[in-house]
Amino acid sequence: MYISAASTVSHQPTFQNDGFSKVIEPLGESSELISPNYKEYIDAGLLRRMSKILRMSVTAAKDCLQQADVEQPDAIVVGTGLGCLHDTEKFLNNFLTIEGLLPPTSFIQSTHNTIAGQISLSIGNHGYNMTHTQNTLSFEHALIDGALLLGEGNSHILTGAADEYIEFLDEAAAQLHPRPKLNLTSGASFFVLSGEKSEKSVARIQDVQVAGLVQDADAAIGTFLSDNFLNVSEVDLILYADFNAGTSKESVAYEYFNAHYHADSKLINYTKLSGLYPTNSAFAAHYAADRIKHHPELKNVLILNGLNKDNLGLTLIQSLEA
Amino acid sequence: MDTLKEDLKKHIIEQLNLEDIQVADIADDALLFSTEGIGLDSIDALELIVLLEKFYGIQVTNPEEGKEAFLTINTMADYIEKKRK
Amino acid sequence: MAVRITGLGIVSAIGLTVAENLYALQNSKSGIEPVQFLETGKDYLVGEVKCSNEELVDRLGVRSKPVSRTSLLGLAAAREAWGNNRHASEIRTGIISATSVGGMDKTEKFYRYYLDRNHPDFNVLKCHDSGNTTERIAAELGISGYINTLSTACSSGANAIMLGARLIEQGKLDRVLVGGTDALTNFTLNGFRSLMIYDDQWCRPFDESRSGLNLGEGAAFLLLESDKSARLTGNTTICSLKGWANAADAYHQTASSPDGKGATMAIQNAIDKSGFNALDISYVNAHGTGTKNNDLSESVAMLNIFGDNIPEFSSTKPFTGHTLAAAGAIEAVYSVLAIQNGLIYPNLNYQNPIAETGLVPSTELRKGQPVLAVLSNSFGFGGNNSSLVFAVNK
Repeated sequence: MYISAASTVSHQPTFQNDGFSKVIEPLGESSELISPNYKEYIDAGLLRRMSKILRMSVTAAKDCLQQADVEQPDAIVVGTGLGCLHDTEKFLNNFLTIEGLLPPTSFIQSTHNTIAGQISLSIGNHGYNMTHTQNTLSFEHALIDGALLLGEGNSHILTGAADEYIEFLDEAAAQLHPRPKLNLTSGASFFVLSGEKSEKSVARIQDVQVAGLVQDADAAIGTFLSDNFLNVSEVDLILYADFNAGTSKESVAYEYFNAHYHADSKLINYTKLSGLYPTNSAFAAHYAADRIKHHPELKNVLILNGLNKDNLGLTLIQSLEA
Repeated sequence: MDTLKEDLKKHIIEQLNLEDIQVADIADDALLFSTEGIGLDSIDALELIVLLEKFYGIQVTNPEEGKEAFLTINTMADYIEKKRK
Repeated sequence: MAVRITGLGIVSAIGLTVAENLYALQNSKSGIEPVQFLETGKDYLVGEVKCSNEELVDRLGVRSKPVSRTSLLGLAAAREAWGNNRHASEIRTGIISATSVGGMDKTEKFYRYYLDRNHPDFNVLKCHDSGNTTERIAAELGISGYINTLSTACSSGANAIMLGARLIEQGKLDRVLVGGTDALTNFTLNGFRSLMIYDDQWCRPFDESRSGLNLGEGAAFLLLESDKSARLTGNTTICSLKGWANAADAYHQTASSPDGKGATMAIQNAIDKSGFNALDISYVNAHGTGTKNNDLSESVAMLNIFGDNIPEFSSTKPFTGHTLAAAGAIEAVYSVLAIQNGLIYPNLNYQNPIAETGLVPSTELRKGQPVLAVLSNSFGFGGNNSSLVFAVNK
């Protein structure tokens, strides 16, 4: 399947910034979300109730459809690890503290499928509408669903992922993962995936595989590469996220690729660029597409998502020439 | 009565997150649920029921009753006056 | 290419096994009662699974903690559906579950302690996320690889079944355990009350006097197999999943459209996919929540599809309560049981037709019926509409 357009709202200058992959630097500890002017994308009547995750998502989704010149996608597929946290926390607070009637809005908007639902409502789309939530593999599952839909004869699928930071997460992270301090962020990335190559095509997603409750990550990586007829040396760039990153232990990706091939210079830890959120592999996918677009010599980019030690996501993104 | 209407408008703007709307933008007789007015919907109707309880101690048990009361600022103010007695 | 159903598992307010559920359905025994297990401080009518968390942990022999009630219910149903099946490297096996609130039953307790600054145990947050709910079930059953969770509110369970079928149809998996699970929580109870669609009497789907839903809890799973997998496992096919579709209503955040657009599309596309025509449908297991809005919109959709030839239909929510993400899976199991046993279930608590549409559901249990094809509807918040078609395997 082909990426016809991509759009990301994040802590980096990614939005409407073609070529961002050449200029962005690792995030500092106190970065903030770079918000586009949401009013340009979202009707005021809908915008007034929307939390951050909804604003980011609807905006990235619409921007991406405009770029691809696709008015109505055949389906909308969204991945989210933790869903609409802001409204979930707000409703928890409300019903635990308010005596009497409760305002319903935060409950309505707490469900994970509010993101895909609001996108369909914003553009009046009646197609297949799905929400995958498999923590760090939510985006990969959305991509797999997108590939199934294209396999069923659809033309253009809007697929993306989003997660939002709330302050409570810092406290929870400090309690559950005392060290290292995690750089928690928000992000939404959306893509128009198309079955046919066109002048809009930026890159091709050649394969996506998920290994939930993975026992042997090395074997899974090896199988993935051989399924795609690739030697380790043919992978031009490896974007990885790793459970062990920042600790004294070496990362799965680093170990694997160093053991097989001296690939140090080709490894980028994308969590350092995006910050940490469960679906930041979607940021990596946009980063990969942007790199490929501006560096045609990059043929094979592998996204190795090991953000959670039990779950491995593998996505191979290729240049159109590969 | 006029202060009641002013207060009501402030509460509505706050409760419903009507970010770009000022008290002066809402006419007393504008249809609240029409796009000609401020374009509220059924979720807002529920929020208005919460608002009446929270600020005026009035309980609307039947959402249908709310529909007539919430037509305009005037009808809402009348409804509040009547219920307070 | 058939998608075979070879295993069923269920826990709900009317029973902890398939057999118990079938018995209650055949004897018109509702499981909706005043709340008993969840601490609410109120007297709400709910469809609880009649088993405490401690009993569930004991029955299931779950050792590692924390574990949410959502996972426990899901595991009970998934184990029954999985039965004595074994893993084999040549049968690529996955699991897809659906949940709307994941481990919220644990999180909401945590959060009360957190607000009170009363030594909250942050560790329980590890079972909050919906994906974890499914991973726990997968780990207990030894399933790895394709483990996925869908969350589309009240249509989630049906969507999990549909996704499993699509993965088999395209040859990505050979066998997949599909279903949904949701525990009753104060979060959802308060949520539906805030929408003013919670009935303090028994819910009355498709009745003119209906005024809301009763929440329930539970879980159900179905084992789906490809022809190849069924050949290798030797499992008997109970019936087939023939049609499926999902469509967005794109009308309003919570309300269904008055013309039933999304629902009509989902039903029509599912019937088209099954290769049947509308007249072939023997029974419709309706979404029928008992809210003014859903039942009217669903009735309009049924009229759009079936016209004057409305098949037998009923909602089984007066038995179980609305089990949210589990509903589509629970009702799928009931649909399969209807085919297997030649049954049409009664729509309890019904008296008078909805004035606008005049549709009359089945109100008595019908036995010995030739139930060849069943349509099951699941419609959710955000206009997420799904329909499934089950049929005898030919």
